[in-house]
Amino acid sequence: MHFITGGAFNGKKAWVKKTYRVTKDDPWISAYKNDLIPINLNGIDRNLIILEGAEQWIKKLTEIHNSTKSRELWNHYLNQWSSWEKEKPERQIVVIGTDITKGIVPLEAENRLWRDVTGWAFQDLAAKSDKIDVIWYGMNQSIK
Amino acid sequence: MAASSSLIFITGGVRSGKSSFAERLATEFADKTGGKLTYIATGVPSDREMKLRIEKHQRDRLAKGSIWRTLEQPVNIGDLASKISENDIILLDCVTTLLNNQLFVANRNLDESDLAAVKERIQTGIMELRNRAKTVIVVSNEVLHEPIFHDHFILMYGKLLGQIHQFLVNLADQAYLVEAGIPIMMKGMRQ
Repeated sequence: MHFITGGAFNGKKAWVKKTYRVTKDDPWISAYKNDLIPINLNGIDRNLIILEGAEQWIKKLTEIHNSTKSRELWNHYLNQWSSWEKEKPERQIVVIGTDITKGIVPLEAENRLWRDVTGWAFQDLAAKSDKIDVIWYGMNQSIK
Repeated sequence: MAASSSLIFITGGVRSGKSSFAERLATEFADKTGGKLTYIATGVPSDREMKLRIEKHQRDRLAKGSIWRTLEQPVNIGDLASKISENDIILLDCVTTLLNNQLFVANRNLDESDLAAVKERIQTGIMELRNRAKTVIVVSNEVLHEPIFHDHFILMYGKLLGQIHQFLVNLADQAYLVEAGIPIMMKGMRQ
């Protein structure tokens, strides 16, 4: 798995498209297009899958579950994705998540929960990723 | 275009020392090249706090012993081009204020084409200055690492700012992220 993060509107999507030479045929599953979090990827017989808007899927989880359960589910999905990727050596999953963790503490409890779980979930995602890039206004910094 | 005209982009969090670093870089360039320091002030002293901040910045620049020419230009910075010559080292501080001013000058609901025009005006304005000056140093803020999806205006503002930053980093000869007073070079090489 390759985790791509960085602030909003920093050019993450464009960087992924360019780096992976993404075509229209590559599955691009996006929370920003209201796609649901894919629970399993079985049946997708492609080499590249892009999952975009991780922080929005995490938000959905925290709207229903507490932090422990949200994180448990998140890790379950990560494992599912990983095992799809490991079925064939040429398979690659790219997960894009916007960093929302560096602002002022949100006033609303639900937004504090979202922010906390996003921080932890990104740590879990990072631990399970082979590669991580932080995108800063179109430039990447490889941190793993 | 001036022979060695260059663009430097600097960003960082609030009180990260980005302005001090930008000023230091500008005076270094001026010492090395004999260039003239020009400060483009974008802040409108709308209230007491803003007025005090501006005065502090002015005192800081003066205290360091360098001579600065100050040009006040809250909007349409491209209009300054005629006052810029190839010996000038320009410090523009900062893009977020400029974007605020440029958005509020319209004083009405902005549609997509208005927003594109605002972005275009800022980007071409900066490039017009760059094309005439020796060096343009542009300072901005890191504000895109928190949720900005909940409010339409903030989302639109964030999108414009992110796009302008991407445009500037792409064209910059050097780009820095300042963390706790320490500049991290993200692009280019120190001369």
